[in-house]
Amino acid sequence: MSLQTDFGPDSGGRVKGLVIVKPIVFGNIARYFGKKREEDGHTHQWTVYVKPYANEDMSAYVKKIHFKLHESYANPNRILTKPPYELTETGWGEFEIVIKIYFHDPNERPVTLYHILKLFQSPATEGASAQPTVGRNLVSESYEEIVFQEPTQLMQHLLNSVKPVTNGPWTHDTDFEDKKDKTLQKIVAAQTKVRTEISDLKDKLHLAKETISKFKDEIAKLQNSGGGSMLTGI
Amino acid sequence: MADILDILELEQPASEISRDSIIHGDKVKKKYVTAKAVKRPEGMHREVFALLYNDNKDLPPLLPTDTGKAYKQTKAKLGMRKVRKWVWAPFTNPARTDNAVFHHWKRAADEAKEYPFAQFNKQVTIPSYSESEYNQYLKSEDWSQAETDHLMDLCQRFDLRFIVIHDRWDRAAFRDRSVEDLKERYYGICATLSKVKTNPWSNTVTMVNGEKRIYHYDAEHERKRKEQLRRLFDRTQDQIDEEQMLITELKKIEARKRERERKTQDLQKLISRADSGNLPPISQVNNNNEGTSTPSNTASSIARRHDRKLHKKKLTAQQRPVRTVESVTVEWSGIKFPEARGTGVWLRSQRMKLPPGVGQRKTKAIEQELRLMNIDIAPTPTEAICKHFNELRSDLALALDLKNALASCEFELQALRHQYEALNPGKTLTIPPSICNMVADNETKPVGEIIDVVGSPSAHNTTI
Repeated sequence: MSLQTDFGPDSGGRVKGLVIVKPIVFGNIARYFGKKREEDGHTHQWTVYVKPYANEDMSAYVKKIHFKLHESYANPNRILTKPPYELTETGWGEFEIVIKIYFHDPNERPVTLYHILKLFQSPATEGASAQPTVGRNLVSESYEEIVFQEPTQLMQHLLNSVKPVTNGPWTHDTDFEDKKDKTLQKIVAAQTKVRTEISDLKDKLHLAKETISKFKDEIAKLQNSGGGSMLTGI
Repeated sequence: MADILDILELEQPASEISRDSIIHGDKVKKKYVTAKAVKRPEGMHREVFALLYNDNKDLPPLLPTDTGKAYKQTKAKLGMRKVRKWVWAPFTNPARTDNAVFHHWKRAADEAKEYPFAQFNKQVTIPSYSESEYNQYLKSEDWSQAETDHLMDLCQRFDLRFIVIHDRWDRAAFRDRSVEDLKERYYGICATLSKVKTNPWSNTVTMVNGEKRIYHYDAEHERKRKEQLRRLFDRTQDQIDEEQMLITELKKIEARKRERERKTQDLQKLISRADSGNLPPISQVNNNNEGTSTPSNTASSIARRHDRKLHKKKLTAQQRPVRTVESVTVEWSGIKFPEARGTGVWLRSQRMKLPPGVGQRKTKAIEQELRLMNIDIAPTPTEAICKHFNELRSDLALALDLKNALASCEFELQALRHQYEALNPGKTLTIPPSICNMVADNETKPVGEIIDVVGSPSAHNTTI
């Protein structure tokens, strides 16, 4: 951070044409106690987190992350200033957690993520066993990309000077690469299908238009020949 | 306490045992004794007695003591000015010729003034003519001079109140004439005389920009107008009802016509949009490093082509040229996603938000389609996925619009065929079956039975 004086809030300005993308993963894991806890009725322990997708230390550019919990929690506004950006709580219900990421450069506005805390396995994916399984962790996480469009010079410097978090392998519970590929393939396939459909519909519409004008001509012919006394309510 | 006991007509206790009575025992007792000295006579009201005797044994005052202003009613003061006097006074009306004297109330201050309503007695100057003038200018086939004289006389007498003149018309001497006839004759005379005579008649001639304007009475128009009013007035309830019914029918028909024109217009736009071939080759799907400015370029080129198309296909477009201007809307051109922001930090997933112009219904329909195709409605947001996902949804929106348009075309075709059948019984028109499949897919089909499918090879070639 010795360089910070060189890149004050009003220094340099923005780097034209530069786009830096930082993929992240955010979500929660949850573990069922196996029973309702006597003293407060809580059933799960959960951890909500924001972590880099790549093996990079986010604290290089992230100043703090603000997790806003449900208001029934004591001091629901939890702020984490260094990694790991995660917090563990217990509870009995699912709710939306608002996650706000602040950056070191105050000229870059914070971004807001929304995560629905997931405690219960949705029956559709789990099949018949709606009963929560004890001990096994439930993971609900999403991939997201933070796009720094024309960052400030300070931000550029910070973004480019990230260090790895760990020397070991950096993995996620969800195989996002696989998911990305599959999603893209599915969407592209659907696109092809829809476009075929559109051109098909377009042809039909043309035909319909032509038929309409043909019909109108026929009717006009009839009306002209058969004397104009017919009622034309159409 | 004594009062309450009085009201309840209870004997007062000789002495109360309370904290007070114990402490100031003798004092209280003394008071009671003095109060008891004057006993209220039987039958006397308590209030009356209280006037005579109170605890102080003072007599009530003999004179009213309340002399302050507090409760006194001040005299009502309605105006700011001094009161002016009214007097019962005789007056003469200068408009009258008989010098009759009447009386009325008037303000003393106005005594000298003339009767104020006299000014409203306006006299009409009726033109006069000599016999030679009559013979020279005013001769008429229809009117004898005696009759004309009678008319002028009545005009003078009744100040051109033609209804009265008509009423007093001497039907014994002359034939009955309508108000319009009388007016026509009178104003005709005025016009002629004002032309030939130097002194203009005040009520028929006005000077406009130094040039004489003669009042022209259009008798024919008046007759028509009155006839029209009479007819309007003479309508029976049935006729009124029928007219009302016809008006509402007309409104309905006009509304339907407008609706149909609007649909045709929208259809035209849709076709031109579909025609403009904004379907880029899908092979370039995987090189996803396209600049963010591309969508806007294509959008504007679509708009341009679109305009050209509309000029070409003028047959329906010319009916409503105004609407073609606003042709590039969200509704009819798929979905136009907002462009990338200038600078700053943003999340990739924000790019996949549907713009606010897309309505609730359309959003729901698109999501439904996505679900049918087993695609997550919030997919993993990479740049490529965002781009294709947005394009897909735009295409879906267009496809939905096209489907709707096709359905309405179908209905129009049905309607036209019915019209044709009504005009030409026994014959029918054949709707191309590929169009009808569309509707038959969505709706239960009473339609399918009527359609002549025989001999059309493309009957079942559509797979949607």
